[in-house]
Amino acid sequence: MDERLQKALEFSNYNLTITNEKRNIKNRVNQLQIVHHSGGVFLAQPETIAFVKALIDLEYKESIIIDTKENPIRISDLKELLEKLVNAYTSATQEFEVEYNKIRKSRSIKSIMGW
Amino acid sequence: MDQQYEGKGVCFFAYNNEEIDYVKLATLCARYVKHFLNVEVCLITDEGSYHWLKESQKEYYKEFFDYVVITDDQMKKNVRNHFDSPWTQFPAQFSNSNKHRVYEYSPFEQTLLLDIDYIVKTDFLNRVWELEGVAMFDKAASLRNDSPHFNERYLYDAGVKMWWSTVIYFDRSNESKLFFDLWSHVAENYDFYQFLYNFPGKLFRTDYCVSVATHILNGMIDSDFVNSIDDKMYYMDQKDDWIESHSIQEWIMLANDLDKNWENILCNHRNLDVHVMNKRALDRQWEPLMEYFNEL
Repeated sequence: MDERLQKALEFSNYNLTITNEKRNIKNRVNQLQIVHHSGGVFLAQPETIAFVKALIDLEYKESIIIDTKENPIRISDLKELLEKLVNAYTSATQEFEVEYNKIRKSRSIKSIMGW
Repeated sequence: MDQQYEGKGVCFFAYNNEEIDYVKLATLCARYVKHFLNVEVCLITDEGSYHWLKESQKEYYKEFFDYVVITDDQMKKNVRNHFDSPWTQFPAQFSNSNKHRVYEYSPFEQTLLLDIDYIVKTDFLNRVWELEGVAMFDKAASLRNDSPHFNERYLYDAGVKMWWSTVIYFDRSNESKLFFDLWSHVAENYDFYQFLYNFPGKLFRTDYCVSVATHILNGMIDSDFVNSIDDKMYYMDQKDDWIESHSIQEWIMLANDLDKNWENILCNHRNLDVHVMNKRALDRQWEPLMEYFNEL
């Protein structure tokens, strides 16, 4: 085989593996961002956090928020939801950073596998 | 007198056959459940399998199973062709025709029914206890993060969505009762529903039963009678393999390319629950995983 093609295919295989690992990390991060509250399901993402914070800043103490399943959920304590969302977001992004850096520093499939 | 149901817990069905030691695998899965979900566990099995469990898992079975329910249901003949990597296959009886009876057998008020090859490596499923009614996965992803084949996402070209009976949460509500009663009806009239819904194969699959029941209870449209668990069900295909385990949570696996069986990629699978469809691979890792637990 042409050496140029062989090297390219080796890199292609490495890239396929690393992309799959990144997707696995993203799957885990997505799970950590899911917040169950008052019978509803919310995703701890910047938009949701900013919206809840905006309601609090406008001095709403309670509100009805549409959850990820498109159901209206009465939130009796917005501050409590905000705290849960921020906690979920920060723990998800912290784990994301740790795992992402492990992969970023890996220069071979062996090191991704911890060998 | 009505049966009293209490608390929350996980149930497993395990009926041994000449090829697969289901109760052995259930012991490992129960240990994972105890570690990550911290709830009680109930094993539903038959006399012969239970006898073998007591003999083969002397040191573990009392610790990891809080309840054992012995059944003597007549099982349909249901031979499944299993793969262990693309290169080995074997037929074995798949005893699943009484799975809907978990509603009677479970001692819990809130039950999470898991297949014995669904390994709980996180506390993610602890979120289901807040749900009302029935919950299952309706999405899945392979080790390669691919979606399953089209006819594993829909009941063939009838276009009805597939729900997975691998993980089922239910409470004691009227909705749950309705669901399990209908499942039992679909199971008893499987040939009719196979003709009506046009799903493939000769194997009796509870995935099809729950999908049909959900479709009917939804009013024959895509709706929300059954809660969809908020993530995908991650699975290791029967043709994938398992190279080694670095810990109870970090596993190195070979993800097979189903279109080109000679090609694999390595996958470091960690911190996600996974449905290990290659049961022999799970069996091969049983000892190292138990060792890792013993060292904790």
